[in-house]
Amino acid sequence: MIKITDLEKFYRTEEVETIALNKLSMEINTGEFVAIMGPSGCGKSTLLNILGMLDDPDGGSYMFNGAEIAHFTERKRANLRKHNLGFVFQSFNLIDELTVFENVELPLIYTKVPAKERLSRVEAVLEKMQIMHRRNHYPQQLSGGQQQRVAIARAVVNNPKLILADEPTGNLDSSNGNDVMELLTDLNEQGTTIIMVTHSEHDARYSHRIIRLLDGQTVLENILI
Amino acid sequence: MWKSYLTSAFRSFKNNRGFAAINILGLALGLTAFLLIIFYVSDELSYDRFNTKADRIYRVNEDLKFGNNEVFYAVSMAPLAQALKEDFPEVENAVRLKNAWSARIKKGDVTIRENKLAFADPSLFQVFTLPMIEGNAVTALKEPNTVVLTESTARKYFNSTQVLGRTLLFDDHLNYKVTGVIRDLPKTSHFNFDFFLSMSSLEESRENKWLRSNFSTYVLLKEGADVKQFEGALNGFLQRHSGAEVQAELKMTYSSFEKSGNYFRLNLIPLKDIHLKSNRTGELGPNSTVQYVYIFSAIAFFILLIACVNFMNLATARSANRAKEVGVRKVLGSSRSYLIAQFLTESILVTFMAAVLAFGAALFLLPLFNQLSGKEMAVSAQSFIWLLPLFIGLVLLIGVSAGAYPAFFLSAFQPIQVLKGKLSTGFKASGLRNFLVVFQFSISIFLIIGTLVIYKQLNYIRTKNLGYNRDQVVIVQNSYELNDQAKLFKQEVKRLPGVLNATLTGYLPTSNWHNTAMFYKDASLDSKRSLFPETWGVDEDYIDALGMTMASGRSFSKDMLTDSSGIIINESAAKFLDLKEPLNKTLFKSNGGERTESNTKAYHIIGVVKDFNFSSLRDNIGPVVLFLDANNGALSIRVKTTDLKKVMAQIEQTWKSISPNVPISVSFMDQDFDATYRSEQRIGRLFILFTTLAISIACLGLFGLAAFAAEQRSKEIGIRKILGASVPVIVRMLSVDFLKLVVLAIVIASPLAWFLMYKWLQDFAYRVQIQWWIIAIAGIAALLIAFLTISFQSVKAALSNPVKSLRSE
Repeated sequence: MIKITDLEKFYRTEEVETIALNKLSMEINTGEFVAIMGPSGCGKSTLLNILGMLDDPDGGSYMFNGAEIAHFTERKRANLRKHNLGFVFQSFNLIDELTVFENVELPLIYTKVPAKERLSRVEAVLEKMQIMHRRNHYPQQLSGGQQQRVAIARAVVNNPKLILADEPTGNLDSSNGNDVMELLTDLNEQGTTIIMVTHSEHDARYSHRIIRLLDGQTVLENILI
Repeated sequence: MWKSYLTSAFRSFKNNRGFAAINILGLALGLTAFLLIIFYVSDELSYDRFNTKADRIYRVNEDLKFGNNEVFYAVSMAPLAQALKEDFPEVENAVRLKNAWSARIKKGDVTIRENKLAFADPSLFQVFTLPMIEGNAVTALKEPNTVVLTESTARKYFNSTQVLGRTLLFDDHLNYKVTGVIRDLPKTSHFNFDFFLSMSSLEESRENKWLRSNFSTYVLLKEGADVKQFEGALNGFLQRHSGAEVQAELKMTYSSFEKSGNYFRLNLIPLKDIHLKSNRTGELGPNSTVQYVYIFSAIAFFILLIACVNFMNLATARSANRAKEVGVRKVLGSSRSYLIAQFLTESILVTFMAAVLAFGAALFLLPLFNQLSGKEMAVSAQSFIWLLPLFIGLVLLIGVSAGAYPAFFLSAFQPIQVLKGKLSTGFKASGLRNFLVVFQFSISIFLIIGTLVIYKQLNYIRTKNLGYNRDQVVIVQNSYELNDQAKLFKQEVKRLPGVLNATLTGYLPTSNWHNTAMFYKDASLDSKRSLFPETWGVDEDYIDALGMTMASGRSFSKDMLTDSSGIIINESAAKFLDLKEPLNKTLFKSNGGERTESNTKAYHIIGVVKDFNFSSLRDNIGPVVLFLDANNGALSIRVKTTDLKKVMAQIEQTWKSISPNVPISVSFMDQDFDATYRSEQRIGRLFILFTTLAISIACLGLFGLAAFAAEQRSKEIGIRKILGASVPVIVRMLSVDFLKLVVLAIVIASPLAWFLMYKWLQDFAYRVQIQWWIIAIAGIAALLIAFLTISFQSVKAALSNPVKSLRSE
């Protein structure tokens, strides 16, 4: 599904140039659940942003489903993104002004799904995430665990092929964290590819493969299954 | 999709009530002011347009230069209208109007003084659109002693409009038969009368004199007539008709009259231009000036601009708070155009709410505004024909233009940067915002300076030494009705305790009486050495009673028999005649008719009176010649008393003893004077009102910006406080950035304001200087207002508990 080759990314300030990704190469297959780990500053978030098409690489190639997208325009990337990708963030990133239902509905609006179909799809996914009873609440009225469920619901409502999760349990206690990991595992078992950045060895064990980064390079790969 | 835009917009308002309130309120305030000014301006521009033939109606003006004098009349000669109709095929019709000033009219047992009367030709109703309710529009004013009333006047006198054939008794001796009733004249007519008397009642209207101008003449041209060509032909026409009289009166041919640098011309002014562009001698009513229409339109535009700037500023300032939302929406697949549409929807929604508020407020405030502006504007169902498109247009225009910058600015955020919190683009580093604040305050300071200068000039007019003393002068306006007994009345009044002096004449610096005559330096009546002054017949008490001062010589005296050929001239007449020592010099005046040296009268200058103002202070003081003459037009009484009521009662008592049946009509000279400047005073008041509004709106914006600045820097403030910063230090830190901008605005606005106000003052012959302290006051005021606005927020931020702000980060 994803093949990156010699991917490079630099951050420049006036005095220093920091190398975030240093000729990084990897391949991720459809249906995989991959965890990316490493110390702060090793480049894992940068990698996730590039994989999520939120950021441009400075060099190298990024093939997504066989197409080279390293130098796509923002408009093209946005289009690809909204049909193929779902995001889960550490800080949930729900829109405070919208209700649970409306937050989840948002990606469907952007992909121009008709209203009737949106209703049934959102209800289905809320049911699945067990937060149907909270559908008319606002994000601030929910616990962290519930908020992350909503975020995951929002990430999957468009049936994306790939979910990118950036420390999805980082702001949660362990019980809520385990629930979220179970949800991701379920999704993966139903066929969704998942790439997750995490600090937690515990969470990483839910994945099939752990890629450890240091200074923008792969230092180790653990195949768990 | 739209539903989603709207709900998120509404929720965003709900969650940011303060912000939304400032935004909506500021915009509403600006729009209200804008609308009121639009009402005002459109009212000014709508004058005389109710006439269906307005495009083809012109008034004939007369310009005259003779010797050293130039006069511009709104009136013309009695035979002009008829002659124009006969000589020019393109003239479809013509009508004359002549102000009849005042009359006493009997209603049952009471007598009412009416001041809105005019003589008019029967063609009045064919030229102007004055719909008749009763009577025949073609014949109504044909017969002598007939009158056409307005609807409300008919009701006032007869409680009905079906009054054809009824009579009204004028001044106790003239019966006028009512031959028509018309609808009341629209307020937007440059003349406004309640009674139209038949022109045939007036002997003077039949005089075939071409050197005497007393009638307002209007022509209705045929469709498609060439106005330029018609106007060009007028002077040849005038020469044809007046040549003989010029020859007889001035002893020279028309062409030699023109060759000696004089002129006598006719020109046209379109009916629709009269209200705003005509300020001539003999107008039928006070007109306005187009200058104020421009000034107020500019103010309206600026106020709206300030309000829009607020909107943009607050929206971009708040951008940090919304950055996350933008990021999330983008990650979820929102394209930039969706986001732009969303933000534009929000801003159009805010504008819509503000506009609804503003339209309500403007309608509600209209009566108050009418009072302030001296207008009688009303909003009718018809007004909505233009109000509704204006409303929609405004909402879209302001919504889009004020929302465009925030929309494009916010939608350009890179999602990963905002989501990672790398974007601190909330408050800092916005050159545009600084520019906008400077812009707003420049306008405000400009308006403050403008207001101060206007206020000072108006105050100067009010308190200027006019060359006469208008305080404590009671004017009996209708002393002429006492006829021969007016003199007796004067003598009786002078004897009353509390009365210092009294003078009997209609020629007063505050009255509308004008009379001009030709004076020559030589008995040969050489027009090159001539003067065409205001020539006023007065009595021997005139100078003293009105508190004028002699520059040299003496005033008239009862005891000097030779004073019947004596004159007093004013300083400017002496200057016009180039007389270094005018005393005892002689001026000559033709007796009329035969122009020979023997047919002249010689006048000796017995005194020079210091210049006194008798027309608008916009004009320089013209030459005046006073001579002794029995004129009982009005009695001006100088009183000195603390009990004015008692003196007034005694004056009235004296009047009654002489003329028990005619009611006395009294005014005060200072009030008459103020009336001359009423429109200017009104303009001044309006200016102050709108300036206050503009500054308030600018401050509202600043208030909002300061609030956001404080919010953005709350963490910094917390850390500083923990490290030991005092409240004043923090207040200063937060205020200084803004105050710098205000100072910059002062630097930009002051010279500009100075220059434009200097230009405005040039219109006044008598004017104030713009002193440096006016600009200093404006600057300090702006700084102070800005500081107070900001410090409310800064003090609040400085006093907040640092632990709280740090924890929330």
